[in-house]
This record gives sequence, structure tokens and C-alpha cells, in this order.
Amino acid sequence: MKSKNYSEEILKVFKKKGFVFLEPDVLLDSNYIIQRSGESFRKLILAFEDDNGKNMCLRPDLTIATCVKYLEKNSKGTSKIYYIGQAYRRSNNSNKSIINNQLGLEIIGSKKKLSDDSEIINTMLNAIKKTKIKKININIGDVSLFKQLIESLNIPERWKLRLIRHFWRPDYFEDLLNRLETNSDIDPVSFSYDKKKFYEMKKFEQKQQIAGRTISEILSRFDKKIRDPRSFTEGKKTTKIIREFLKINCPIDQIDECLKKFLKKYNINKSGIKNELPIKNISNSGYKIIFSTNFGRNIEYYTGMVFEISTIKKKQKKELARGGRYDNLLKNLGSKKNISAVGAAINLNNLSEVL
Amino acid sequence: MKNIFTIGLPSKGRLKENAISILKKKNFKLSSRGGERDYFAELDNFPNAKVIYLHAREIIERLGDGTLDLGISGLDLLKESSKNLQQRIVVRKKLDFGKANLVVAVPNDWIDVQTVADLEEISFYFRDKKNLRLRVATKYPNLTNSFFTSKGVTYYKIISSLGATETYPFTGSSEIITDIVSTGATLKANNLRILKDGSILQSYACILTSKKSISNLKKRKMINMFL
Repeated sequence: MKSKNYSEEILKVFKKKGFVFLEPDVLLDSNYIIQRSGESFRKLILAFEDDNGKNMCLRPDLTIATCVKYLEKNSKGTSKIYYIGQAYRRSNNSNKSIINNQLGLEIIGSKKKLSDDSEIINTMLNAIKKTKIKKININIGDVSLFKQLIESLNIPERWKLRLIRHFWRPDYFEDLLNRLETNSDIDPVSFSYDKKKFYEMKKFEQKQQIAGRTISEILSRFDKKIRDPRSFTEGKKTTKIIREFLKINCPIDQIDECLKKFLKKYNINKSGIKNELPIKNISNSGYKIIFSTNFGRNIEYYTGMVFEISTIKKKQKKELARGGRYDNLLKNLGSKKNISAVGAAINLNNLSEVL
Repeated sequence: MKNIFTIGLPSKGRLKENAISILKKKNFKLSSRGGERDYFAELDNFPNAKVIYLHAREIIERLGDGTLDLGISGLDLLKESSKNLQQRIVVRKKLDFGKANLVVAVPNDWIDVQTVADLEEISFYFRDKKNLRLRVATKYPNLTNSFFTSKGVTYYKIISSLGATETYPFTGSSEIITDIVSTGATLKANNLRILKDGSILQSYACILTSKKSISNLKKRKMINMFL
């Protein structure tokens, strides 16, 4: 099938489901993007300084660009959006193209999480169906499960936050786990020196600032840090639980059973962990859907359900579409209210390679 | 310049003195017609060689474009330069001077910060509670960026500095710094301390050559006399 043809077929599916076209801007304020995504993002974007000294970049991601547009337009209520266009992003992998052609959907500002999630997945599946590709694999995950697990563990608060923050960076996360296992966190020598200083500083004017931080801020963090159990015997056990959790992998209709078994084995409070996946709505799609706790760890802004539709071409996996729930992104982009959102995009580069 | 062997030496300070004494030890005699201020010098026994005194950073650049065949400069400056440049330069010998470390330093009074992991936490605190990014002043943005990224610190902002970086945290220009230190006395005098795991690079002076020159047989022979 010609690319124009199947693009049109896919768009028909989107429109029929009530999604409305939105054209996100190609150029974004790069300081604004980096401010919210972190300095490491700078390496990935194609940025330049315009004549007025403003730093601009080509949109690195259509979801971000769509959300920026949504906020600019001051939209209220639920928006069902579709877009078609290019995203521009560098990659460490030189085989990967800088230009990504995408066709995507977003549901922004709706409160019906479960039905929205299944609507996005099912619409994407219907769209992919139009291409007549056989051999379709679907992977699904729920990154909020990890957060729930960590919250229910008996480890210092700092460690909880740290593990949650770096869940989406598997290499560094592994580093963290190793550190948690051995607890090489506080240096006893400088610690005793600092403790002396702690009592001295308590006498200072607490609002006084030292390089952008008030003395009370510094002291309260120090205090919290030393209150954390220092010889952390639980470390090994916790690390094991986390590693085992990340190995959970099963067909979607067995999630509850798998989780239950896991929680029982490690004696974790059952009410602590619940998946929020629209299992019923998507498990009768006719496809085999595999759930994995380790899935969805490559994009930072996902907060809940994540999924990927792929196929096999010449023994290699080709991702056709991916998406997920990202309930914090709009707030991170500057929205005052919490605005929930879920979306997905078809990777047209890969699709045209496969067809 | 094709047949002339060009050597770049640092134009100032102890680095210059040490570089010259390295040449003397190898029995090269330097003479400048214009005296102390002359930027050029000749090697007495080698009419085809020429010495140019340059800024240490400039030496890296000129090795990269091939105007210099050999140079003495700091490893830190080489590693900080662009990938493109680094690919055209070869480190031939580690020298026994110019030793200094590129480190992460924070205000002494930040007693709750001992490791880079602490910084990572603070950077998130800055973002979540103050809607700001932790600012890092440095003369070495590239090395600093790759170090922080590898240690999981991503919410920060680089502030480029050309000198006296130690003052930045106390003038409101940045919160922390990375800088090159040899004894650590300047940091201490300015109320800063090095993080326990905050060593980014251990640097030293080295003999560098341009890759292009190695492929030239005559120049290669000449290079070997310096090693």
C-alpha cells in the first residue's frame, strides 16, 4: 500500500472516533523545554538562536508540542486531538533517523481514565488493522505499579523518591540498586565534622541564604538524612523485591493473579498495589497482549498505562505505535491545574519500512 | 608550513617553564631573537623546526587543524574540546607536571551535601519547590555535562564562566561550581568543598600530536625525538 493511502485510511479511523485535527507548532522555545525536561535533553534537540537572541528548537516530540499548543489555546474540558507531522530529535544511535514522521492521538483533560486508556489502545489497533499487517505483538505496562510498590516498602523516604525519579533510566537505576544493597551513602568521617557544624549553624539566622538555600533548608535536610537508618540491613531484601518485581511478565488477563502471587511471596500489603489497566476492554481485542512490569521505562513523562504495538520484520522487532498515560506533563509544562492526558503515535518511518 | 615542523608551547606561567625544561632535557636548545616577548623561537640544531608560544587552549585548536605538529597542553583542555577536534589529536606522553583535578564543589555550609546523589536530590528540590534549576558555573561545560548526566543529575543549568568561578555561589550567579584544582587551597579560601565522589577528571600536562603529522615520515621521526 502507498504511504499516502494508508495514512488516509488511518486518519479516517481517527476522525470517525471523534478526534479533531490540531497543528502543533514546529518551533518551540528551547529554554522552556529544557527548563522542564532537564539539561540532558539538550543533547537530543535541534536548537538555534534566532536574531532576537531567543533560543528555539524544532519540536523534539509531538506530544510535548501538542500539549504546549493545548495550553496556549487555553483549552478547557476534554480535547480529543489527532495530529500528523514530523518530530525532530537526535539520537545516540546513528542508524536512527533524526526526522520521525508520526500520526498521533491525544485525549487531554478527561477524567475517565480507564475508558480513555482503552479508547486510545483500541483506536490505534483499529488503525494498524487498516494496514493489513499480520503478526502483531502488543506489550503493555503500568509504570504507576512500580511507584506503588516502592511506597509500600520499608525504606527511607529519600530512597523512595530517588528510585521513583530514576525508574525511567535503567542504567542509572541499576547503579542505585547496587548502592541500596550496600548502603554506601553516608561518609562517617565527614559526617562527624558536619554534625559539629550542624549545632553551630543552628544558632545562625535561619532565613539567611547560602548559595540559593536557606540555612533552615540545609539543616532540616541534614537532620532528615541522619534520621534515616544508617546501617541499613533491609537493603538487600528490598533490592531483591524490586529486582523480582521487575521480572513479572505475563499475558494481560493474568496480571491480577501474578501480582497477587508476588505480593504474597514477599509479604507486601495487598491493598498497596493495584493495576489501573483497562484489562477487560482490551483483552478481547483478539490479539495476544503481554504485560510486563519492566515495560515503558524509556520515556520519562509516562505516569500510568504504557503500551507498544510492534511487528517482526526480518527477525527484528519494528515498533509501529506506542503511547501511554502522562498525567503530569501538562503541569510540568506550566499548567496551574492538574490535567490528565493519554495518547499514542504511529511511527510512520517504521510502518513504511514494513509495508 | 608543510616542511617546517611546528611546536606549540604554553605561553604563560609554570606550564611554560615546565614545557621548556622538558625540551631542554631532550637537548633541544631554544632561542628567541626578540627576547622574552617574542612569540616565536627556534631550535638551534633544527633549522626546519619552529616553536610558537600559544594559549594552552589554542594549542589544542591548532593541533586539530594541523598548523601545529606537536604541542604541550593539558589533558583537561583536550577532553573538553569538541569530539571532532579530539579525533584529530593523539596523546603521546603523560608529563609529570600540570597535575590538577576537575571537581564538583559546593558551599562549605551545605553540610547536608556530601555526594553527587545529594546534589541530584537538591536539584529536584529546586525544580519542585522553587521552580528553578540548580545552576552550575564552570569553565568546562562539556565535561561537566557528561559527568552529571552519568551520575543521574539532569535538572541543572550550566553557567559559563571564564575565571574566578569560586566566587559564583556567593554572588548569586550560580549555586555550585565545577573547577580545576591542584591543591584545593583556592576552594578552601573561598568557602567551598569538594564532593566525596565529585572528581570529574584527573588532568596533567601531556605531549600531543596532530594525527595528520604522524602520517608524514619525516615528521614522525621528529615527533619521536620528543618522547
